[in-house]
Amino acid sequence: MTVSLKTRTILGASLGIVVVGTVGWQLATLDQTSTSTSTSSGARPTVTLTDGTYTGTSVQTQFGDVEVQIVVSGGRITDATTPVLTGNEGRSEQINNQAAPILRSELLASQSTSIQSVSGATYTSNAYITSLQAAFDRAKA
Amino acid sequence: MAARYEITYRRRALASNLLVGLVWASGLIAVILFFTSAGTSPFGTIGASVSSIGILCGLVGSDFILVMIVLAARVPFIDRTIGHDRAVAVHRSLGKPALYLLLAHATLLLTGYGIEQGLNPIAELGPMLATPNVWLALIGLLLLVTVVVTSLVAVKRRFSYEGWHLIHLLSYVAVAFAIPHQLTLGGMLATGSLQRVYWITLYVVALGSIATFRFIEPVVSSLRHGIRVREVESVAPGVVSLHLAGRDLRALGSAGGQFFVWRFWTKSTWWHSHPLSLSAVPTDDSARITLRDLGAGTGRLSALPTGTVVSVEGPYGLFTPAARTSAKLAIIAAGIGITPARALLEQSVLRPGEATVLLRASDADDSVLWSEVDALANAKGATLYTMTGPRSPSAPLWMPAPDAERGVTLRSVFPDLLESDLYLCGPAAWLELVEADARDLGMPQHQIHSERFDW
Repeated sequence: MTVSLKTRTILGASLGIVVVGTVGWQLATLDQTSTSTSTSSGARPTVTLTDGTYTGTSVQTQFGDVEVQIVVSGGRITDATTPVLTGNEGRSEQINNQAAPILRSELLASQSTSIQSVSGATYTSNAYITSLQAAFDRAKA
Repeated sequence: MAARYEITYRRRALASNLLVGLVWASGLIAVILFFTSAGTSPFGTIGASVSSIGILCGLVGSDFILVMIVLAARVPFIDRTIGHDRAVAVHRSLGKPALYLLLAHATLLLTGYGIEQGLNPIAELGPMLATPNVWLALIGLLLLVTVVVTSLVAVKRRFSYEGWHLIHLLSYVAVAFAIPHQLTLGGMLATGSLQRVYWITLYVVALGSIATFRFIEPVVSSLRHGIRVREVESVAPGVVSLHLAGRDLRALGSAGGQFFVWRFWTKSTWWHSHPLSLSAVPTDDSARITLRDLGAGTGRLSALPTGTVVSVEGPYGLFTPAARTSAKLAIIAAGIGITPARALLEQSVLRPGEATVLLRASDADDSVLWSEVDALANAKGATLYTMTGPRSPSAPLWMPAPDAERGVTLRSVFPDLLESDLYLCGPAAWLELVEADARDLGMPQHQIHSERFDW
């Protein structure tokens, strides 16, 4: 006798696999993020940077403008500031002011432009990274 | 036997309580995760505190909306444990709280941000709406208000099922419109946080269940079984049996008096869905449903041409032996309500004397399939009673006047009523009378299993 599986059983099992897969994948990325931040605290920049202070381009977003300045000393980024950080209205300013310190600490830890954007401040984060990339390019030159 | 039903009942009751507990726990998890992921002092200032409470309202509200979607998705596991009726009841009970929480979310954030900026909540409305994606979320909220208002009992009555259902589908749009502001403004999806794992999982479970069981399954199942109308047989005035042909129909997997949602694809009938039980256990290539001309939609079914394509969703419901809790079985079916009752009897494994069946018809034309139930009752050693005639004007109101006058009661038909599972199927108004009668005799709610002809 052939066993006819119910359509529902097959689809239910597929959904189960998708859910378990998603949770597993999310937990795996969670693991990576936490280990990468903990091990990279002493990381060296992946490229050689010349000592000095470099200012990136001023990047405009619908929330406001962002400009990043980095300080390179002994080949390492020792500080980052945002000479330009405006919010187009009150709420954006607040978000930007929350996001900037987080981005700064990520930058100092990773010593690279590959930093995670801050959730809730995606636009600001992307602008920050873009400006930072320009500052990096100048530091390499 | 009795002990076995008792154990399965206890197990199901426990699973049911766990599931309902899980609903509330999920709201709590959303709150806890907010505190683990919230950055610098969420309750540092008055403005920040108001905003944080606003965010919490939004989180719990969203959580409830997603849980509601899961509950309405007809997930087989949920339907089996708590039953679709109960799942929909919990879904309904969450509707208003979820909406109030989301309204509070909007109001509290306007107030909280306002305090931080030195603006009153109304003045804060401008800057708030200037923030990208907030206006999308606002549209989502307004859609949700529409969905909840049209589901209030008084308002719902004014709509046809199809109209109401169409409006209800807007809740998916509302959920979709709320997502962008959760990404750009909220912290719940911040990369690398436990909060993100939780919310992504919840979204995948909710939207995945809806997509799988409400959209994909009916399509796949309909294509797989390729059901068509083979013959329309007139059984009695206004009652027809539809004989269906298809492939692999046993795999439809209906247990007892479960129902399917049918759609008949002709120009005039496709938009109307019909929740109907199979009126006989299907074979591999044939199945049968029996129905009465109830509404305008059902009336057209007696004229269905042979070869009409039929799509199917289901099986749904707990009108099955799996829902048994007690040693004896009592079945009362009225009119066309006999179809699930017949299927339940056909699929039940019974000791002689275990089951008693009472069939109710308003006139002789209403006594559909009685001969078939009679044959089944004989074969299974069940006692069969019948009552024909219009409803009695004096108590018990659900039986015909002559029977009521003779002093027949629920207790006299079913002497072991309190040790029985009472399965009821018939028109809603009649059914409520029987239920009330059974409850007055001290019958616990979990022993009463009803299948109503309404939505």
